[in-house]
Amino acid sequence: MSLLPTTSRVPRYLAWAWLIAHLVCLVALGWLLRDGLPADTRLTAMLPEDRQAPLVERASAKLGTSFEDRFVLLVHADDLSSATPALADALTEANGATPLLDALIWRDTDLLDKDPRAALDAYRYRLLTPEIRQAIDANGGMSLVAPALKALFSPVASPDPVRDPFGLLDAWLEERTASRVTPRDGRLGVDIDGQRFDLLIGELAASPYAPDAQQRLTTALADFKAAHPEATLLRSGLIFHAAVGAEQAKHEISTIGLGALLGLIAVLLVVFRSPRVLLALLLPLASGLLMALTLTLALFGSLHLLTLAFGASLIGIAIDYALHLQSHRAIAGRAFQLRALLPGLTLGLVSSLVAYLAQTLTPLPGLRQMAIFAALGLLGAWLSVVLWLPRLRLPVSPATARLATRWERLTRAPWRLTPGWVGVAVVILVTICIWRLHSDDSLRLLSSSPAALLEQERIVQRHLGNDTGTHYLLVRGDDEAALLSRLDALHAPLERLQRQGVISGHVDLADSVPPPSRQNANLERVKRLYQAPLETLFTRAGLPETLAERARARLDASPVLDVATWLDTPLGEAQRRLWLGKTDNGGVAATVVLQGVEDGAGEAPLRALAESTPGVTYIDRIERLSGLLGELRTHIAEWLALGLILLSTALTLRYRRRTWRVLLPPLGATLIVLTSFAVAGIPLNVFSQLGLLLVLGIGLDAGIFNAEHPRQAAAWLAISLSTLTSLLAFGLLAFSATPALHYLGLTCLIGLAAVWGLVYLLRSGPRGDAG
Amino acid sequence: MMRRLIAYICLGLVGLPLAAHAFDRQALQERLEQTPALQGHFTQTRWLADVDTTLESQGHFAYVRDEKVVWQLETPVEDTLVLTPADATEATPPNDARRAGREQIAALLLQLLGGDWSALESRFTQTLEGDADDWRIRLTPRDPALAERIGEIRLSGGRYIEHLEMRLAGGDRLRVDFSNQAPLTPEEIDALPDATTR
Repeated sequence: MSLLPTTSRVPRYLAWAWLIAHLVCLVALGWLLRDGLPADTRLTAMLPEDRQAPLVERASAKLGTSFEDRFVLLVHADDLSSATPALADALTEANGATPLLDALIWRDTDLLDKDPRAALDAYRYRLLTPEIRQAIDANGGMSLVAPALKALFSPVASPDPVRDPFGLLDAWLEERTASRVTPRDGRLGVDIDGQRFDLLIGELAASPYAPDAQQRLTTALADFKAAHPEATLLRSGLIFHAAVGAEQAKHEISTIGLGALLGLIAVLLVVFRSPRVLLALLLPLASGLLMALTLTLALFGSLHLLTLAFGASLIGIAIDYALHLQSHRAIAGRAFQLRALLPGLTLGLVSSLVAYLAQTLTPLPGLRQMAIFAALGLLGAWLSVVLWLPRLRLPVSPATARLATRWERLTRAPWRLTPGWVGVAVVILVTICIWRLHSDDSLRLLSSSPAALLEQERIVQRHLGNDTGTHYLLVRGDDEAALLSRLDALHAPLERLQRQGVISGHVDLADSVPPPSRQNANLERVKRLYQAPLETLFTRAGLPETLAERARARLDASPVLDVATWLDTPLGEAQRRLWLGKTDNGGVAATVVLQGVEDGAGEAPLRALAESTPGVTYIDRIERLSGLLGELRTHIAEWLALGLILLSTALTLRYRRRTWRVLLPPLGATLIVLTSFAVAGIPLNVFSQLGLLLVLGIGLDAGIFNAEHPRQAAAWLAISLSTLTSLLAFGLLAFSATPALHYLGLTCLIGLAAVWGLVYLLRSGPRGDAG
Repeated sequence: MMRRLIAYICLGLVGLPLAAHAFDRQALQERLEQTPALQGHFTQTRWLADVDTTLESQGHFAYVRDEKVVWQLETPVEDTLVLTPADATEATPPNDARRAGREQIAALLLQLLGGDWSALESRFTQTLEGDADDWRIRLTPRDPALAERIGEIRLSGGRYIEHLEMRLAGGDRLRVDFSNQAPLTPEEIDALPDATTR
């Protein structure tokens, strides 16, 4: 092994300037990240402003919180009286130094503070159940005297002759808190198929995505299961799904990820025989990431998480430049000249830049950000390769040259590709794609939760009447009264749909806060009830007339219940997620959550209802997100196609009739991936399409270098290494159980193998330069 | 919820014929198992502090171990309340909150009469004083939230419970005095109503 100083035509001061640029970037990045990474996780932030629909966004986010910030456990055991407290203890102990739970609700006394009576005291005369309303309308309310009299003397009741002799509020509350949850032996629970399940509700103090919180919750439950093997646990809540996902990702990092990393290191060490070279190869990637991160943050102010994930993957393409340079240097030895390699390197960079920068012309802010991130990263990496790598004194092993020559000889294709054959193949593949390829952007397809957990989730939600707020109606009104009237008017059609089985129930604010007109009518009814019926009641109970006067006086001081007051009561708190308040155009808005909606067929009547009612929109959160993903995917594809057309035109200027040889590896590989998906019946989604971006970038580099340096052992070695290392880094993700990674990996696996295969077939091309 | 809690506590304890020897809760339970059924007269006095008014009612009660409690109001209004353990096992319509309340009462009764004190023990500290002929038991809520609503429950008696008094939030008091108590014969048990007509 010998140390070879390499000469370079690039002036020394440029290398120094580039180093200073790095230092500046580091300082700037430190300053930009002083409050942590300003990351944006909203998928819709990737889309143009007019498609973001901030109100829908806000509604969806609010409805999701009850599923995100809490979890529900149902436990069944032979001896619940000891199992449930043990589980509650385990969960409480999991709190540790930083709290895991804000509150744990499992005893009936845990609900005492939730008594809404005091808060609703003065409003009770305006809130009547349909039964009481009908009784007053029918006979002035005389039929209500007998039950009220019994309640005054029942040991079970807590009578209040001045405030509420007829128990109006109790009746109203009972109707509202109707739930399958019942207390027994001081514990809360439900009966499912004749079995008693105790209920525990945990309100999370931490984010459901916090690994520490997930870990402690999972451990506490595992310990409980170990101590009570006979107990059945049913789980519901985002944190359980997130924990499963995180566990899976961790497992895969330690298997697939570690395997890929070891493989990568082994390959590069075998070829270059030096750990220093290995580090030098990775240096451009690091400097590309630094540039991209700093400049994108400075330009946009915040970074979308998808930008970070996808953009960082795309910068991986830059390893090509380093590999080509190092392979050539290893083989050329002292004769190495950067100048010989510059056209190829530059074309490789420019072609990738054109392909990605076309996306900056899109109206999609997220795509623009991603494209700029990737382009800046590639440019930074390229500059490091050109300015620094030639100056680094790197050990060069003669083994590299020997290996390259042997590899070149070993892999000569038996036959040559001609434009004619390629044309025929392209027609066949395109036909298959048109015939069979389909796409599916459904988020449901990407859910990585195991079926057992989803089933538990379904059971718990069905029996507790909970929902994840997936299906809802968004209702707008000019002011609160108009909105409440509109919500109230929806009751009749929604109840009809419930009878038809389209929905299993609905939750809305007008059910608890009737429109002011209805509240006024209710108060008039109570005033009638407080005439003869009240006198009869008090006479029969032996209560003095003065008390009746005091009771009547309270009616005059009954204010109209408004939404804000209701949401502040212990019962109303749970409905805060339904209230959106002021909208941008001066009105107000609220949501009506629909339960038990069947995806697909079940949604048509709801859409029809929304379309025929002014101010009402039907929204399926998951479908909407899926639609947005699909939109994103289509936009990427369209603008990428435009970029490729521009690029092909530009490349024709240099390569003329050989242009097809440059374009075949990227485009051919893309076509092969699409055809494989079409044949296997795998739908295209945004993650597989990101894989295609990678395949295109590496394919373009390979095509250009193959054309720039035909039949050179060094170029072929670099192309082989580049496809192999990318295959290890991304292709192995095909074995991931996380759907998003699996689709990305599968695309890379097929696509990168195809890139290599196509260059292999092109290499042995004609001796001359003719196409 | 509070209403139900109060109700099942007093209804549950009505049926306890307390033992005359070695006075602890264990003895109480053993004694309990010897008396299958009991009936008597009650006077219920409810003192409502903020309206300065007393609501008084009278009637008969009957209690059959493991089966039911019958609360028969006679003056000033007639009403019969029957609580059975069947309420605890019967499938109940999910939206009938009043039935759910009864289910809870019935479940607690079963537990009290079966001698499972743990549920009450976990929520009330219990102090037993006196001897078998003249005893007093005091229950104090452990949970501060519950204590805000129930100050204290006091029971006293001899052969059977004679007085029950509950101090409630806002100064309200509920007092029940039992008299003319005697065991029920099997025939009388059969004659008790079993419909729930609250």
